[in-house]
Amino acid sequence: MRRSLFGRTWPNVVALVLFVFFVFPVYWMVTTAFKPDLDIISTTPVFIPFHGTMGHFDKAVHAAGFWTLVRNSFTVTICSVVLSLLVAMAAAFAVARMRFRGRKAFILIVMMAQMAPWEVMTISVYMIVRDQDMLNSLVPLTLFYMMMVLPFTIWTLRGFIAAVPKELEESALIDGCTRLQAFWRIVLPLLAPGLMATSLFGFITAWNEFPLVLILNKESAQTLPLWLTQFQTNFGDDWGATMAASSLFTVPVVVVFLFLQRRAVGGLTAGAVKG
Amino acid sequence: MAAQYRGTPTRAPDQQSAVAAPTAGAPVAVGTAPAPGRPRASRGSALAGRTTPYLLILPALVATAVLLGYPLVRNVIISFQTLNAFQLIQHTTQWTGFGNYKEQLTSAEFWHTTERSIFFTLANVALIMVGGTLIGLLLNRLGKRMRLTLSIGLVLAWAMPYVAATTVYQWLFDTRYGVVNWGLDKLGWHSMAGYNWLGSQFSTFAVITLMIVWQSLPFVALNFYAGLTTVSAEIFEAARMDGAGAWRTFSSVLFPMLRPFFLSTTFLEIIWVFKAFTQVYALNAGGPAGLTETLPVYAFVEGVGNQHYGTGAAISVLTILILLALMSYYFRIILKQEDEL
Amino acid sequence: MKRKLIAAIGAAAVLTGVAACGGSSDSKNKSDSAGPADFKGKTLNVWLMSGSNPPGWTKDITAAFQQKYPGAKLKITVQQWDGIQQKLTTALSESTPPDVIEVGNTQTPYYAATGGLKDLTSVKSAIGGDDWVPALNGSAVYNGKQFAAPWYFASRVVVYNKKIWSAAGITTPPKTQDELFSDLDKIKSKGTKDAFYLPGQDWYGFDGFLLDAGADLVKKQGDKYVGNLDTPQAAQAIDLYKRLNSYGTAPKDKDEATPQQSDVFAKGDVGAFLGLGWEASGAITKNPALKDQVGFFPFPGKTAAKPAAVFVGGSNLAITQGSKNPELAQDFLTLAMSDQFEGELAKEGGVVPNKASLDSQLAGNEFGTASSAAAANGGTTPLIPAWGNVENAPNPITTLFMTGVLQGQSPSDAAKKADAEIDKRLSQQ
Repeated sequence: MRRSLFGRTWPNVVALVLFVFFVFPVYWMVTTAFKPDLDIISTTPVFIPFHGTMGHFDKAVHAAGFWTLVRNSFTVTICSVVLSLLVAMAAAFAVARMRFRGRKAFILIVMMAQMAPWEVMTISVYMIVRDQDMLNSLVPLTLFYMMMVLPFTIWTLRGFIAAVPKELEESALIDGCTRLQAFWRIVLPLLAPGLMATSLFGFITAWNEFPLVLILNKESAQTLPLWLTQFQTNFGDDWGATMAASSLFTVPVVVVFLFLQRRAVGGLTAGAVKG
Repeated sequence: MAAQYRGTPTRAPDQQSAVAAPTAGAPVAVGTAPAPGRPRASRGSALAGRTTPYLLILPALVATAVLLGYPLVRNVIISFQTLNAFQLIQHTTQWTGFGNYKEQLTSAEFWHTTERSIFFTLANVALIMVGGTLIGLLLNRLGKRMRLTLSIGLVLAWAMPYVAATTVYQWLFDTRYGVVNWGLDKLGWHSMAGYNWLGSQFSTFAVITLMIVWQSLPFVALNFYAGLTTVSAEIFEAARMDGAGAWRTFSSVLFPMLRPFFLSTTFLEIIWVFKAFTQVYALNAGGPAGLTETLPVYAFVEGVGNQHYGTGAAISVLTILILLALMSYYFRIILKQEDEL
Repeated sequence: MKRKLIAAIGAAAVLTGVAACGGSSDSKNKSDSAGPADFKGKTLNVWLMSGSNPPGWTKDITAAFQQKYPGAKLKITVQQWDGIQQKLTTALSESTPPDVIEVGNTQTPYYAATGGLKDLTSVKSAIGGDDWVPALNGSAVYNGKQFAAPWYFASRVVVYNKKIWSAAGITTPPKTQDELFSDLDKIKSKGTKDAFYLPGQDWYGFDGFLLDAGADLVKKQGDKYVGNLDTPQAAQAIDLYKRLNSYGTAPKDKDEATPQQSDVFAKGDVGAFLGLGWEASGAITKNPALKDQVGFFPFPGKTAAKPAAVFVGGSNLAITQGSKNPELAQDFLTLAMSDQFEGELAKEGGVVPNKASLDSQLAGNEFGTASSAAAANGGTTPLIPAWGNVENAPNPITTLFMTGVLQGQSPSDAAKKADAEIDKRLSQQ
C-alpha cells in the first residue's frame, strides 16, 4: 500500500504553496513596517528588508493618544470577554446538564442572538446609550461587546461542559460536596482549557469591533480599530507607518492565539486525539 | 479520560455537541466533545432543584433582553418613523407608518443590493467550505512537520484582525506600489501594472472575497482536520476494502459522519459572511459608486451616512428578515437535533 | 498536575480581568460643579475642521481665552471633513455637544434648519458682525436669522514646485489655460510623473471649472432645485478636469484628502496641484526642504484677461443649541471674530477674512494674494438646507459623475445618473 513518489510529494508541494498564500500578507505587513520609505515605494518590491528601520514603529507609537487607545482596547476586550464567560458558564451549564421546560426556547434564543446583525443596529444602540447619557465611555462598549460574544460563548461552552464526564461530578457529590463545590472543584478545572479556547473568539470579536465604537465614542474612550481605519488621515499614504500600526494591532491577537491554542490543545486533549 | 473519548462511536446522533464544539476556536475541540453523558434523566432531576436551571440562565436572559432585545425593538420602532437630522437633533417623533418599508421595497437599489448580498454570501461560503474541507483533508495526509508548518500559516491568517487585514490588502493591491500588480506584470500580464483594483465592482469584490476567504479558510480547515482525527483509521480501511474511491469514501463515509460539523460550520459562515461589514466598508466604503454595498453596508450608508435613520432602520429590519429566511433551514435541523437529545 | 496549573491560570485571568473592569468606569468623570461666575474647571469644547487653524493662531487664541477666564480650559479638537456630517448630526443631538463648531459654508443652512445651532441674531453686533461683508455672510443667515458667524474664506489656486518648473525652463506662471498645458507638457517631458496631481473627486475644484464654463451644479426649476450636470458646460468642465488629471498619477476614484494631497506634494516630485494655503504649509512642515520652492498662481482663464472662476469655500463658526457654556462660547466667538484674531488668521493662514478692512493682512502671504485674486471671480453652491444631503457620502457629484467620466463613461450618461441622485437628495428633508 505504499504511495508512489508523486503521491508522496504533491501534498507537500500543495501545502507549501498554501503556506505561502496564508502567510504572505502577514509577512508583507511586518516587513513593510520595517522597510525604509525608499524600499516601500520602489518599483521592484523589496522582499527581504536588509536595511531595516524602526522609524515607522516609532511614528505609530508616538501618534497622538496611541497608548490611551491601547489601554482602552485592552480594558474593553478583557472585561467583555471575562463577563461573557461568567454569564455564559452558568447558562451553558444549565443547558448541558439539566432538562427543564423552556430549554429549547432558550436554545433558540441563543441561536437567534448569534445572528444579531449588530452592524445594522448601530443607530438604535446609539440612541439608547445617548438617552442614558453614557456616550464616550467604555462601560456601554464593554456591555455590548459582552453581548456580542455571549451567544457564541454559551453555545461553545455547552459543548465543553457536556464533554466533562458526569460521573466525576456525581462522585464528588457522593463524597459530600455541594453542587457548587463539585462544579468549582471538578468541572471548572476540566473546563479551563475550554474557557480559554472560547475566550479566543470573544477576544477577536471585541478587539476588532468598529462600527459601534465609531458612533458611540466620538470624543473619548476610543479604541484601536477606530484609529486604524483612519490611517489614511493619520498617516497620509505613509504605508510604512500604516503597516507598523497594523502590526502592532495584530500582535496581541497572535500572542493570545498562540498561547490559548496551545493551552487548549495541551490541556484537554492530551492523548485523546491522536496526531 | 482519553479512553472514554476514543471509544465513543462517531455516529451522527451522538455527535450532537460537535455542533458546538468545532466552533470553539480550538480545532481539537471536535474530538473532545463527542458524547454528552449517556445516563441522564434518572438521577439528574433529583440533583437539580427545580429553579436552579432558571437561575443559571437568568443572567444570560437578562443581558439578552436588555442589551439585544431592547435595541432590536427600538430599531423596529425607528423603522416606522421619519428620523432625519432634524428629528434626531430636536428629539421629536414623526411617524410614517410603513413609509420607509414601502420606499425600500419599491426601490431598485434595495433589490439589487439584496441580490448582490445573497450572491456574495453564497459564493464566499461555497469557496470557504470547499476550500476548507480540501485543506483539512490535506492536513490529514501530511507528515508531522509539514502539517505543523501549514497549521502555523493558517493560524496566522486566522488571527489577523479584520481592520489590520483590510489595511494590508489595500497595500497589497495598491495601484502604484502594490506587490500584486508588480507580480502580475512580471508574470507577463503587463496590463495589470498600475491596475486600480478598487476602481470597478468586479475587481473590488474579488479583493473582498479573497480577503474574506483567506481569513475564513483556517477556521474550517483546522476544525475539519480535528474532526477527521476522531475518525478511526479502521473506517478508512474498511471503506478501501469495499473498493470505495476517494470521492466515495468522502461522500458516503466521511460526510455523513461529520455532518453536524458541516451543518454548524456552514451555519456560522453564512452568518459571518452575510454580516461582514468591517471588511467591505473599510476596504472601499461600498464603492465604487455604491456598487459593492452589501445589505449591512447599505443600511449603514443610508442610515448613519445619509442621516436618514428611519430608512436605515427599515433596511436593517429587512436585512434581519432576509437572514432569518436564509437560516430557517438550519434552525429546523438544529432544533430537531435538540429534540433527539 | 497540568490541569491544576491551567485552572490556576484561568482563575488568575478571570480575577485580573474583573479587577481591570472595576477601574475602567471612570473614563468620563466631569467636574461641572462650578457656579456660573466661576470658570474653574469649565471646559469649552471647540470643533474645528482639518486645515482651518494654523498653529500660531491656535496658540495665541488659547492663551487669550485662558487669560480672560482663568481656570477655564479651551479644548480644540480638529475634525476631518470626511464623514463630518454624520458626526455633527449625532453630536448636535447629544446632551453635551461641543460648544462651538466650525461648519462649512455649503453645509451651514442644513444645520441651521435642524435647529441644532443657536440663533445669534440678537448678539450679532456684540460679536462684531456689523462690518461683515454681506456677500460672505450669506451662508450664515437662514430664514432671516443669523445662525453662525462667517469666519474665513478661501479658494483653490495652483500650488506649484518652483524647482521642478524652473528645471523645465519655465520662469513665469502661465496666464492662460493653453500656456498651462504647454508648461505641463514640458514638465512631463522632463520625466516628472506627476506634472499635475489632481485626484478624481475634488468636486470643489470641478465646481470652479463649471462656474467658469458658465453653469452651476444645480438649477432652479419652479420652486425647487434639480441637478444640472447634463449640460454642455458640465461636459466642457469635466473635459478640462479629465485632461488635467491625465497629467499625473492621482487616483480617479479618491478625493484630495485620501491621501492628503499635501502629503503627496511633500515628497517633492509633484509639479503642481490645486490646493489651499494650509495644504502648502502642511507640505512644507512635512518636508522643510520645500520651504522656498512653493509658489502659487490662480488657475488661469481661457484668455489672459482674468483668472478662471473658482468655488469659494469658507467656514462659519456656530454655537450649538445644546451648549452647556453659552456665555463662554459667545465670548470665544467674539474673540475669534475680533480684528486681532481674524487678522492673524488671515495673515498666517492666507485666508480671506470676513471684513474688508482686514484684507490688507493678506499682503505678503503669497497664497492669500493669489487666492483673493481668484475669489473675486467666484461662486458657491445654493444656500439651501437640502444641499447638505448632496454632500453626504457617497456624493453623487464625485462618485457618479466625476469618477464615472474619468473612467470612461460619456459625460451625458454619467450626468444622468448623478442628476437623478441629486434630484432625489434635494427633495429630501
